[in-house]
Amino acid sequence: MKMNLKLASVAVAALLIGSAANAQEVIGYITKSATNAGWMMINQGAEDAAAAEGVTLVAVGPAFQGDLSSQLEVFENLVAQGAAAIAVAPVDSAGIAPAVNDAMAAGIPVVAVDTGVSGADVTSFVATDNYAVAKVQGAVAATLIEDGQPIIYVTGNQAQSTGQERRNGFVEAFTAARPNSEILEVPTEWNSQEAQEGVEAILNSRQDIAMVANAWDGGTMGAIAALRNLGYGAGDVKLVGFDGASDAIVAMREGWVHANTAQMLYQMGYQGIRAAAAAARGEAVSPRIDTGFFLVTPSTAAVYSAMVGIE
Amino acid sequence: MTDIVQDRAGRSLQDRAVVAMVKFFRADWSGAFLAIVILGIAIELATTGRPFFHPSNLMTILNNSAAIGVIAAGMTLVIITAGIDLSVGSVMGMTAALTGYVVSFWGFPPSLAILTGLALGLAVGAFNGSLVAYFGMPAFIVTLAGLSIWRGTGHLTTGAQATPELPNTFDYFGRFNPFSGLREAYNNGELTGLWHSIGGFVDANWINFFRTFQMSMLIFIGFFIVLTIIIANTRYGRWVYAIGSNEPGARQAGINTARYMLITYMFCSFTAALGALLFLGRAPYAKSDYGQMWELDAIAAVVIGGTSLFGGRGSLWGTFMGVILLKLINNGLTLAQLDTFWQMVVTGLIILVAVGIDIVRQSKNPESVRKLLAAIAAVMAFLACMTPGAIYLRAKIAILEHNAAEAMRAAGQQLAPGHNARLLSPSELEAFQTAAQANITAAALLSLLVIAAGYVVFRGKALLTWLLAAGFVAMIVPLVALGYQITAPFLVLGAVVAMGSNFVFTIFKKARMLDANAS
Repeated sequence: MKMNLKLASVAVAALLIGSAANAQEVIGYITKSATNAGWMMINQGAEDAAAAEGVTLVAVGPAFQGDLSSQLEVFENLVAQGAAAIAVAPVDSAGIAPAVNDAMAAGIPVVAVDTGVSGADVTSFVATDNYAVAKVQGAVAATLIEDGQPIIYVTGNQAQSTGQERRNGFVEAFTAARPNSEILEVPTEWNSQEAQEGVEAILNSRQDIAMVANAWDGGTMGAIAALRNLGYGAGDVKLVGFDGASDAIVAMREGWVHANTAQMLYQMGYQGIRAAAAAARGEAVSPRIDTGFFLVTPSTAAVYSAMVGIE
Repeated sequence: MTDIVQDRAGRSLQDRAVVAMVKFFRADWSGAFLAIVILGIAIELATTGRPFFHPSNLMTILNNSAAIGVIAAGMTLVIITAGIDLSVGSVMGMTAALTGYVVSFWGFPPSLAILTGLALGLAVGAFNGSLVAYFGMPAFIVTLAGLSIWRGTGHLTTGAQATPELPNTFDYFGRFNPFSGLREAYNNGELTGLWHSIGGFVDANWINFFRTFQMSMLIFIGFFIVLTIIIANTRYGRWVYAIGSNEPGARQAGINTARYMLITYMFCSFTAALGALLFLGRAPYAKSDYGQMWELDAIAAVVIGGTSLFGGRGSLWGTFMGVILLKLINNGLTLAQLDTFWQMVVTGLIILVAVGIDIVRQSKNPESVRKLLAAIAAVMAFLACMTPGAIYLRAKIAILEHNAAEAMRAAGQQLAPGHNARLLSPSELEAFQTAAQANITAAALLSLLVIAAGYVVFRGKALLTWLLAAGFVAMIVPLVALGYQITAPFLVLGAVVAMGSNFVFTIFKKARMLDANAS
């Protein structure tokens, strides 16, 4: 899983030779991160699906989060070496499109996982409907505060469809329910340090912030650190997360987090590789597979924990 | 520090101002400092509520500068020796992850884990430094390899998993507040007499001041003070500069350059490990992907602070200012709620301004200074122009895109979703046309001002410059009448800078004269 990028093409070649011997089909899986807690769950799902389907998974992560050029390079290598299908989580929806077009033209099915591709058709798009889930997040967040109380929203990368859809969905649903509440944004590129510093700056300059909502749970954890740095206790400022990452669920039990729209991360990886394997066998695959979500609140946290295996 | 009452040289107020100005601009840190002040004023104007220059906000910036700040200090010394260390971000990430790992999963007591982390930093530095100093390998390549090796090692040893929350001992490197105990005791009613009144004072000013008075900031400032004293007063400090300005010469003079370079790289990696501890003191958990791209931030801070990438020249306080400028940009632009993509553009521009001031400062040429001031006036005119200009351009572009998409549809092409999104409804089209109409006058007027200011950059006749300054002032009234109050601060600043550029030669002449008299 944590394979060095520079070794990727060598590894692809080696695995393809090996696969010819034991006649297992090779599915390329280009992930977005091997170190992010949420992505590790997705990657786990992908590995389990590959084992269940009896295919060989060649998983490659980018050199650093958000590195498009390395993803393009790996993509071309996989196509050149003749992978049976490719599952990709693009770091840049539009940037990956030319590579996707080439692969599809060469007859290799491409499944987009988590983040869509804009400007190219894919065999299937397996992901949470970020916009719809973010609307749920915004509506739930609105119920936690009074109209007129200002809140902070920690955004994800606004150059990506995932970041844009989550922000837009949240803002639309929240503003509809709480039209007089000001939303102060902390821009990040999915980096919890940026979230922590931005939230700390705003909380320190204004005393009236009632809630911090986050586009992903790395931001939620950064926001908790910011609150602790300023001496706030659990519950002084409401927190709303997105992802259902295990550390955010633990923080919910401690009273920091009040609602979290969990993506079915494991399912995303699992369904993504299953769709890729099915497409590689020439079976029909639904062009859009919605992996759903789970609204985690203090009352449903136990159910969710049991479901995804958080102790 | 000229005393107003007793100036023994009997100089006039004006002379003393000139002397103070020259003294200020001789300091390596003046470029970054000036950029901080300019940016601070701009953010002050753009934000409402609590002032930007509030001590509590400044302390928050210092707190969040601490981790990258100490690393930039180590980087400064390496760069002064004409070297570079690209591995600091990875070393920071690895030591942060491993320190957290041994304390969380191996049951190390926090103090031992901290020592492990610091020792690890020294060991990595010894590895990097030996290759550079004793094996003659280029620092750029050695530390670029290190960037990959140490990041990978961090991921491998900890499985790239986040640790649970760290023990409170780590708070002493970060969020611990020396006054929190006192405040708690006061609130519990345990204090009497003088302590009671001190406790009351702390409690009353908690949110406004004491809340952000934290260890991060204290360690950060203390570290710089101690390091400056060491560099200024030890042989090591002098050798570092000597090696950077002329390494073969230093060796011939009998300096063991290899040993001092090794020490410098060890110190730099040590600061990366210390930075990791300072970061852990404020972070939610320990994880091996901390510190990504920090090497670039550290190098940027060092260069913004006036240190030469070619070695031999630079100062720690310049780096201090550079770090604060970088953090101030993030903090200020977030508070000003500037659009995300604009933040990226503005961040780059501010760095250019800081480095531009530094280069002009070093040139010691009055014409360069005048050009810089005129250029700033042109930028102010441009910023003022952007307010109506952006609305005008956006409206015009929207109409253009609509027409292009219409033309494609008329030609019978199938439209992609991106094209459809650019089609406007009749009412939208009308709104954009009105917006373009309403803003064209102001945009045109201000564009003229931009062109005039741009001309003055290259042809700086005194009369022309006065006319330009007058132009700035004259613009204010009609623009405010048109409803562009927001452009007024830019125009005022532009007028001041343009007028100031006329005095540059006089001030330089005066300064040179005073300098000659003094010596």
